[in-house]
Amino acid sequence: MQSSMDVETVSSQTQNEPGPLPPKPLFEPLKAHEMSDGRVQFRKVNVPPHRYSPLKKVWMDIYTPIFEQMKIDIRMNLKARRVELKTRADTPDISNLQKCADFVHAFMLGFDVIDAIALLRLDELYVESFEIKDVKTLRGEHLSRAIGRLSGKGGKTKFAIENATKTRIVIADTKIHILGSFANIKIARDSLCSLILGSPAGKVYSKLRAVTARLAERF
Amino acid sequence: MATKSEASLNLDLDLLHRLKSTEPPVWLAPRAELSETARKASKIIFSYLRTYAPKSPLDQLLIEGFDAEQIWQQIDLQSQPLLSSLKREVKKFEKKPEEIGKIREVLEGEKKVVESVGKVLEGERRVLAEESDDFDEDLDDGLDDDDEEEEEEEGSEGEEEKKGKGGAEGGIEDEFLKINELQEYLEEDEAREYGLKKDSNDSRKKGGRRVLDNEEDEDEDEEDEDEEELGVFGDSDDNEEEDEHRQKLENAGYEDFFGSKRKKAPKKNLKSIEELEEDSGLDDEEDEDEAVETKKNDNLSTHEKQSEQLRAEIEKMEKANLDPKTWTMQGEVTAAQRPKNSALEVDLDFQHNVRPAPVITEEFTASLEEMIKKRIIEGQFDDVEKAASLPSKAPRELKELDENKSKKGLAEVYEEEYVQKTNPAAAPLTFSDEQKKEASMLFKKLCLKLDALSHFHFTPKPVIEDMSIQANVPALAMEEIAPVAVSDAAMLAPEEVFAGRGDVKEEAELTKAERKRRRASKKRKFKAEATKRMTAKKARDNTLLNDNDGKEE
Repeated sequence: MQSSMDVETVSSQTQNEPGPLPPKPLFEPLKAHEMSDGRVQFRKVNVPPHRYSPLKKVWMDIYTPIFEQMKIDIRMNLKARRVELKTRADTPDISNLQKCADFVHAFMLGFDVIDAIALLRLDELYVESFEIKDVKTLRGEHLSRAIGRLSGKGGKTKFAIENATKTRIVIADTKIHILGSFANIKIARDSLCSLILGSPAGKVYSKLRAVTARLAERF
Repeated sequence: MATKSEASLNLDLDLLHRLKSTEPPVWLAPRAELSETARKASKIIFSYLRTYAPKSPLDQLLIEGFDAEQIWQQIDLQSQPLLSSLKREVKKFEKKPEEIGKIREVLEGEKKVVESVGKVLEGERRVLAEESDDFDEDLDDGLDDDDEEEEEEEGSEGEEEKKGKGGAEGGIEDEFLKINELQEYLEEDEAREYGLKKDSNDSRKKGGRRVLDNEEDEDEDEEDEDEEELGVFGDSDDNEEEDEHRQKLENAGYEDFFGSKRKKAPKKNLKSIEELEEDSGLDDEEDEDEAVETKKNDNLSTHEKQSEQLRAEIEKMEKANLDPKTWTMQGEVTAAQRPKNSALEVDLDFQHNVRPAPVITEEFTASLEEMIKKRIIEGQFDDVEKAASLPSKAPRELKELDENKSKKGLAEVYEEEYVQKTNPAAAPLTFSDEQKKEASMLFKKLCLKLDALSHFHFTPKPVIEDMSIQANVPALAMEEIAPVAVSDAAMLAPEEVFAGRGDVKEEAELTKAERKRRRASKKRKFKAEATKRMTAKKARDNTLLNDNDGKEE
């Protein structure tokens, strides 16, 4: 096309010197479909066995927003036990696919659909995972006690941190996943680490209060 | 006489035995029985010795109603002459030991006395046999007695003196005390005493001095006592010796008393001694001084006398000026520059820069207590009150940590946050805002009630009409507890229930004519509506046709 364009301009120039230049070509942004030279893009998300039945329960809640609003094809590969995502022809943005993949992945980690949906709606949300042994090597009873400390009685410590920092936390045995914005993840992570290291919950609460008040003041 | 003396002697011995047998610590506390025995013993010994001292003014020792000092004085009065005579006797025996044997022969009658008493008082005899210096010491001890041990001392002293004397001589008129020998002895002694001091100071013969306070005069005192004894002895006993002594006194000149004119220091001491003494010797001196002065003044006229006096005064004053000043006039004087204890004698005046300590009297404490009571009643304690700290900043709103699972999804949370950021007005009320609203509502209600109660000119606020569903149910049915009074105020008004004319009939009740009438009215209404519709439709069609016509053209 370029070559053809050049020819046109040259010819025009040769024909009429003071003639008006042709308008600049406007290229529409590439659709997801056309990217990578028209090939379809895939994402595959494994389903861990403990999330299989929950997935079955909330499948429609996952399917609907992805298919309707994100315009991504989604299907469950039962044999391989994975969720597969594919771009469609009318997918508006290439990042949709990644967002949907993240959304599904978050669900697999253990987050609720209503919480994971935020990933679809907001750009700046991330999921951070770490293990207890990354913070401090604990064995046996100490490990169990640390996990208990993290959750608190009836999960109240975990909820307190979630509400104060506007994050969602999933404690899966020794793995911890945090969903939220970058700064909030940091605060939540600090609180959780101090709990792992042995601080009493009251101390963590007071720190949380101070930090969140400061954060709120900024806005 | 012998039996009497023996009887009395036995009594004596009894008493003395008792006195001697008492334990020394017993003497420390005053005891009536001991003092009685001591007094009786002293009395008996006194009367016994009376025979040896015929010149003593007292016949017997007076005990009743006399205190220790007075008894002692009585004993002293008797014993002084006895002591001096004893001393002489001892000295005589020193030189001529063969005399002692004579005593024994003469005093056969009193041998018993000597021996018996000797058994009791062996130690004391030995003391007496020693030299005169020891005797002086004893005398000094006797003179320096304290009142505590006075009775004991008195008794023992009395014994000592009397027994010593009793042992040495039977009577003054006897052979031992030969007057010639005495005189010789005196002369010798005087020569010895005065020979030593002739060159230095001949004026040191003052009678009856017992000044022991001056340290400088201690040695002097002992010597004085020696002389004094001699002097006393001279006064009381021997006239010849007295005369010689008197002659010396009479011939004493200015130099004897005041020495050479240059020596002022020792004269001062003598002057002080003069002031303090009070005995017979003083009279002699004064007489002497006056005699000297009158001799000078007789030959001069009055004018000359006056001029002499003036000159003497002038000289005195000039001398005083030339001399170094007294320490009180010397300005700053340290303790080393003034004589000892001289600051006590001078009346010093200096400023006290310290406020004197308050005298604590009853009134003072009473006034204090009054004040304290008043303060307590008032409650005015002058306590330190803590200054209320001003609030510098408004207290921060503490965000409550919600420990329950949040009902909103994360997306909704962020959504709310976003809305609040961009459009604060449209943002849904936060929990704290709702609480604030509720609180303000409550407060308004409360204020309304309070205003109604407190103001005379109370105007109620206009009622804001609120839409609310009113159930057509009497109030009784709404309330759970049995009400005191039933009110149907909340019920609907009759016109609200039914608005219309009274004659309402059901379908079944209608007569045929009424049924027909109703049907006719219904038909009429229907027809009217139908015609209206038709006319409206026609109007529309006409307008359309007109338009079309317009268009076609």
